Amino acid sequence: MEDLKEKLKEQIIDRLNLEDVNVTDFSDDMPLFGGGLGLDSIDALELIVLLENDYGIELANPEEGKEIFDTINSLADYIQKNRK
Amino acid sequence: MNYISSYCHISSASCSVNGKIINTFNTDSLDEIISELYTSLGIKYSKFHKMDELSKVGFIGTELIKNSFPEIESYGENDIALLFSNQRSSAKTDIKFLDSYKDGGIPSPSLFVYTLPNILIGEISIRNKWFGENMFTISKNFDTEYFTNYCNILLNKNAEAALCGWVNVDDNKIEAFFFFVTKKDLKQLNLPLESKILSGLYTAS
Amino acid sequence: MITYIGSENIISPLGSSAQENFLQVKNGKSGINLFKNVGVGKEDLHLSKIKILTVDYKFDYLLSNCLNNIVNESAASIIDSEDTIVIISTTKGDIEDNLTTPIQQSINKLQKEFNLAHTPIVISNACISGVLAMNTANNFIQSNTYKHAFVIGADAISSFVLYGFQSLYAVSDEPCQPFDKERKGITLGEAAAGVLMSDDESVFKTEPLEFVEGTSSNDANHISGPSRTGEGLYRTVSKTLELGNVNVAEIDFISAHGTGTLFNDEMESIAFDRLDMNNIPLNSLKGYFGHTLGAAGLIESAIAMQSIRNNTLIKSLGFKEEGTSGGINILAENLEKEVTTILKTASGFGGCNASAIIRKLK
Repeated sequence: MEDLKEKLKEQIIDRLNLEDVNVTDFSDDMPLFGGGLGLDSIDALELIVLLENDYGIELANPEEGKEIFDTINSLADYIQKNRK
Repeated sequence: MNYISSYCHISSASCSVNGKIINTFNTDSLDEIISELYTSLGIKYSKFHKMDELSKVGFIGTELIKNSFPEIESYGENDIALLFSNQRSSAKTDIKFLDSYKDGGIPSPSLFVYTLPNILIGEISIRNKWFGENMFTISKNFDTEYFTNYCNILLNKNAEAALCGWVNVDDNKIEAFFFFVTKKDLKQLNLPLESKILSGLYTAS
Repeated sequence: MITYIGSENIISPLGSSAQENFLQVKNGKSGINLFKNVGVGKEDLHLSKIKILTVDYKFDYLLSNCLNNIVNESAASIIDSEDTIVIISTTKGDIEDNLTTPIQQSINKLQKEFNLAHTPIVISNACISGVLAMNTANNFIQSNTYKHAFVIGADAISSFVLYGFQSLYAVSDEPCQPFDKERKGITLGEAAAGVLMSDDESVFKTEPLEFVEGTSSNDANHISGPSRTGEGLYRTVSKTLELGNVNVAEIDFISAHGTGTLFNDEMESIAFDRLDMNNIPLNSLKGYFGHTLGAAGLIESAIAMQSIRNNTLIKSLGFKEEGTSGGINILAENLEKEVTTILKTASGFGGCNASAIIRKLK
């Protein structure tokens, strides 16, 4: 689980082009949206692509993403339960 | 009569402002050139890293014009018209977006939003809180007649100034020229906005 | 000096002239149909597709036919004149057939075909391109740069654009329902539309209208999300009214953008509310033509011009129940009334907004 969280942080930084952010800059329970990372709606859609591409998880509705993408904890948790 | 009060060239070899070279590049990598230019601006703007290359070069050119012409801050938020142009629209990002979904891949939303060239104007507007006139045109070559005519038209109408750019980012090449047009010769560059003068400035890179 | 506007033309699934298209939409006919397996995940999706348009290089075809139709409605001598400029509005040109230079080659061909004295000006400014192209023509004419401008907008449906909007979850699984409570996104369309604008009333075969004024403004807020306050739209309409010397009370009708996405339509309603335009009848034509991108501003202006000529406002197809918070007057039925002055608006990616006012000659 810890490995997955670290990997997710790296993937998020890479896919969302967060050049100014380091893995150490975000904690597992820090809100991904509406907070320090400055992510927006397009980033949320890009995270849906990441889930599908890298973990084989398809979201039927982007609204579902709201809770899943709350924090690294919630995202890792969801992937753990649903990955194929 | 309207005047060019600042201008800037960015190519894969060098970057100059008002004819003075401020960076030279010893690399073929566009990423490195863009990153070097961004670093030399000495600013922190996290949205920059999300932009496509066209927007990045447009953003950098605008920052360089602002640095050389601090009076730009005194214009009202509706006063500055943004006129940009290039040869191949957003072709480089278009190809990347196409690559994201060919062979059954998932189309990338963050690439798709950059498949319009006027996004560059949006990025500059957001950064500077400029609400003025917008127009992106596509032409084979830098069209000095269009830029001269249309700047003069807008400055005689509802704009106080115009920021213009010819911004091309191809596979391995950057070719960009920016200029800022004002109603008075504020910087005493003695460059009235005329097609011939504009053409001379453009080719003197 | 007056800028005259007329000789409007539309090529869409509903026909190849403005009159034909107007008659069809007046009768409630839509060009939108269901197409099998066209989505990125092979979904069936609604599109407003021109069925006879099976050629490669559709953009070329649309441009050339639309320009030809307008030339036929104008004085024969002006198309290749030194005093004439052609202005093209498009977002993606022939992206499907020519990825690296999707626009340039078509422009060269058009210039040769019509023996144009000047290379056409190509405006590619997302979904406001069409309105911006008319504004630009007006500016050229008012400044005596050119006397006549043929303004053509065209975009063809491509997988490129369709998949892109799908990646944004912005495509409706039903025909789009602009401003409706149940709206779920856009329906893509393809079309060409255009007008002739001139300082000379005599170049039009049918009596022209007056193009009063047009401006643009940026939201300075977000590259893909509309401003929550309708900032840019509010500013461009305010500017156009002011420069055109027109009062809100003089506007008989608003031809809105109304894409059918949640955020866009909401944004427009807020802007019109801020402009005190709540009572002015308004429609979106996307329920008839889909979102035709670079052609949209011109199609919608052409239909609005037909509304002036025929004193009939067209209902906003797909609208049943108010689904925006601004409190605006969306046309649920066609309305026969004297129409003198119309406002056309458009908003697009990059935070851009444009507006224009057209009216009957005094």
